[in-house]
Amino acid sequence: MHLAGLPLSTLLTLGAVVGTLIVGLYILKLRRRPVAVPFSRIWQQVLRDKEATSLFSQLKRLLSLLLQLALVALLLLALGDPRTKQNLVEGRNLVVLVDASASMKATDVEPTRLAVAKREVTRMVEGLGGSDRMLIAQMDASIRPLSTMTNEVADLKHALDQVAASDTRADFLRALSFGLDSLRGLGKAEIVVVSDGALGDLGRINRQLDLSNVALSYVKVGKSARNVAITEFSVRRYPLDKSRYEVMLELTNTNDKPVNTELTLLGDGNIVDVTQLSLKPNESLQRFYKDLAGASRTLEATIKMTDGKPDELPADNHVYALMPERRRARVLVVTEGNTYLEAALLLDEYLDVEVIAPQKYPPAEKFDVTIYDGVAPPHEPRTGPALYLAPPAQGSPVEIGKPIDMFGFDTWDKKSPLLRWMELGDIQVAKGFSFKPDKEQKVVGASELGPIMVSGSRSGQRYVALSFDPRESDFVLRVGWPLFILNTVNAFVEEDSSYISSFKTGEVWRVPAPSTTDVATLTEPGGKRRAVPVKEGRAFYLGEHAGFYQLEAPDAPPIRFAANLSDLEESHIAPAASLEIGKKKAGSLGEFKVGVRREIWLYLLLAVIGVSLVEWLTYHRRWTV
Amino acid sequence: MGVLDLFKRAASPVSRRFSNRPAPAEELFDDEFQRKLEMLAMVSRKVFAGRMRAERRTKKKGSGVEFADHRNYTEGDDFRYVDWNIYQRFGKLLVRLYEEEEDLSIYLIVDCSSSMAFGDSKKFDHARRLCAALAYVGLANLDRVTIVGVSDGELVRMPPTRGKGRIFKVLNFLRELEASGTTELAETLRMFVAQHKRRGLAVLISDLYDPAGFEGGINMLRFNKFEPFVLHIVDNREARPDLKGDVRIYDCETGDERELTVTAQMLEKIGEAWRLYRESIERFCASRQVAYFAAPVDIPFEELVLQVFRRGGFLR
Repeated sequence: MHLAGLPLSTLLTLGAVVGTLIVGLYILKLRRRPVAVPFSRIWQQVLRDKEATSLFSQLKRLLSLLLQLALVALLLLALGDPRTKQNLVEGRNLVVLVDASASMKATDVEPTRLAVAKREVTRMVEGLGGSDRMLIAQMDASIRPLSTMTNEVADLKHALDQVAASDTRADFLRALSFGLDSLRGLGKAEIVVVSDGALGDLGRINRQLDLSNVALSYVKVGKSARNVAITEFSVRRYPLDKSRYEVMLELTNTNDKPVNTELTLLGDGNIVDVTQLSLKPNESLQRFYKDLAGASRTLEATIKMTDGKPDELPADNHVYALMPERRRARVLVVTEGNTYLEAALLLDEYLDVEVIAPQKYPPAEKFDVTIYDGVAPPHEPRTGPALYLAPPAQGSPVEIGKPIDMFGFDTWDKKSPLLRWMELGDIQVAKGFSFKPDKEQKVVGASELGPIMVSGSRSGQRYVALSFDPRESDFVLRVGWPLFILNTVNAFVEEDSSYISSFKTGEVWRVPAPSTTDVATLTEPGGKRRAVPVKEGRAFYLGEHAGFYQLEAPDAPPIRFAANLSDLEESHIAPAASLEIGKKKAGSLGEFKVGVRREIWLYLLLAVIGVSLVEWLTYHRRWTV
Repeated sequence: MGVLDLFKRAASPVSRRFSNRPAPAEELFDDEFQRKLEMLAMVSRKVFAGRMRAERRTKKKGSGVEFADHRNYTEGDDFRYVDWNIYQRFGKLLVRLYEEEEDLSIYLIVDCSSSMAFGDSKKFDHARRLCAALAYVGLANLDRVTIVGVSDGELVRMPPTRGKGRIFKVLNFLRELEASGTTELAETLRMFVAQHKRRGLAVLISDLYDPAGFEGGINMLRFNKFEPFVLHIVDNREARPDLKGDVRIYDCETGDERELTVTAQMLEKIGEAWRLYRESIERFCASRQVAYFAAPVDIPFEELVLQVFRRGGFLR
């Protein structure tokens, strides 16, 4: 037996002081309250009978003192924190990584894999050795330490209560890095992974991390793998008929057996389509729903098994998408007359086009976009971003270079939203001029003779300039002409045809937000609201749950968007029998004896309480007085 | 005086002895009390009307008017008392004896020991009121009433007096009595009998808490031809004192100390011992034909006096 707490000399000193104090108090306690009686002879008659037992009484009285001294001795011993030799061995330092990824929501074990994992960790916490210390961390898209490195059972259990599953995949690399960092410099280091084993590319981890200095344990959770998932889901409006849309989705059967499932498509909460599908073992089935109508905002897809057997991971059975919001845009065309331009603008029924002569500019009303056709009057900000077609040198936002003829687009920015779905290589231009853009301006298209399409920003408003009159080319005769006009208008009114119908959970989302604010409020699918930072017109947030979100910023309409799990890897819920990182194979869990705390001082304290109770009982029952 | 002295004084049984003061003199014999005395005197007359006629007779035989007995003639007897009718019929010379009329001496002996003032001093006040009531009845019956306070082996005596007009003297005497000292009945009553040659009714008003034993005092009266009447002042609260836990008890008279832990069982035993002690007094008096009357403090004195009258022994 060794003392891990106060040294023996201190304990003896303390014992002497406290013991003396108790004996002193005991002697004082023996001074009794004087009480007068009228005739002591009557009392003496009674006391005479008690005389025979007086020796025993004194002994009992002494027992009270002895009990109190025993209490002090036990308390002092507890302060000394006695340990058995076996327990004086250095304790383990454990980092427990609890997998809280989407696959842990699987119900193949009752009630869920995560609940079973938490039960396992509770068992570990309760069986911690006296010198063992543990840190509990939640592992999903991020790593979240929930406790300090401690051996306080209450703290660890409280940390465990906070573990909650998300709709993301587990970032095992980051979690292991965290575990290694936490255990650096500590003896008997051990990382315990409580998971179903769906942990991504373990080979990459082996290349990046050195696990040679820590013990690795794996607690497997889960037993079967019956799951069908929607692994892709996308929706987009047709560029030229934005009242209609098409949906692409992918279903994957992660089983080794064929399954029958029913796919339901919901638009704005109403059923749009129901399809019965059969999937072969491990088959991925892509489905396109073309030319759909009837939904203006939200689109959802759900699947359910039709063969009566349960799908063991409900989390990937429901996907969400939000279609770009349609609104009417006011377009001002400043021209002497351009049939091609006006015809192109007629293709989008959501555009309110007003054509005015150059001398009537600026108008009194506000516009979302202005198209200057061969003119460049001083730009009025209330008429919005501008598209310049063959601007004159006087008033052009881009400096005009030398005149050129017989040219075409030799290079162009294929990723530019202005040129989406367009092929510009065969356009022939009779005459025009080149631009001389400055550093702030971006060349979108150029011929070998110089830049011919430039975009830029002026007083916070964007503009695009084309260096030739389209009527001097065959551009207006091509499909690309109306696309260019509509892409440009869409880009200016921020109705991006590259709109993302949903985000993927487990990634950092960059949600478009008003650039006038630094903080926006995000409402999660569960209704929880949190502040998210906004930087350069984008709100940043690590999304962990599938569903519809809403982003609110001051003085701006709320922005809604959707998020989906859509992760084939996470939908493969078959638990891994073992965990092997390179050549290092995770072992089974070490010794955790439930209910046995090896700290003797705890038992000493219990003994103190017991002795106190005995003392109290015997005193009040008049056995020791 | 230092703090220690103060502490010692506070803890001393002797100092505590004086903590319970008797009732103030004015409250002890107030107007109400005096009205009750008058009522008692009247009631005593009614109860014993035609039998007593305000006089009492001693057992002495002498020259009264009422025939009592005969005895043989002896030389020197007055010829006038020879019963010649008897001599004529039986030929025997017998002398007629008559009851000698004599005023009765009543001695009211009040125990003034500390135990009488124990607690709220109810026993001492009760004893003095009873004494006053009995004295008044005695005075009203033209008896010679003497009151004696006994304590610490000493006597405090009010000279014999007669006639109810002297009641105020009695009351004043009783007012000035103080309860202190020890009960030494045998020794004190020995002095009493030595000082009072005229025998008579000796009413002992006491709680009979005599460490030397109550028997000595009563026997002293008996053996000296007094007619003892024991009026036992009883406070039933003493049978079950309000005590619990570790205490150091001390006798309020002798100061004898004893440490003990009072439990419920012990209190029951104390009550039983107290009851046995009381029964032993009763048994002693009964076996020696000594009139005994228990006077609990919770019964009003006038009721007790009436009970005394009805039971007899005090007034014959």
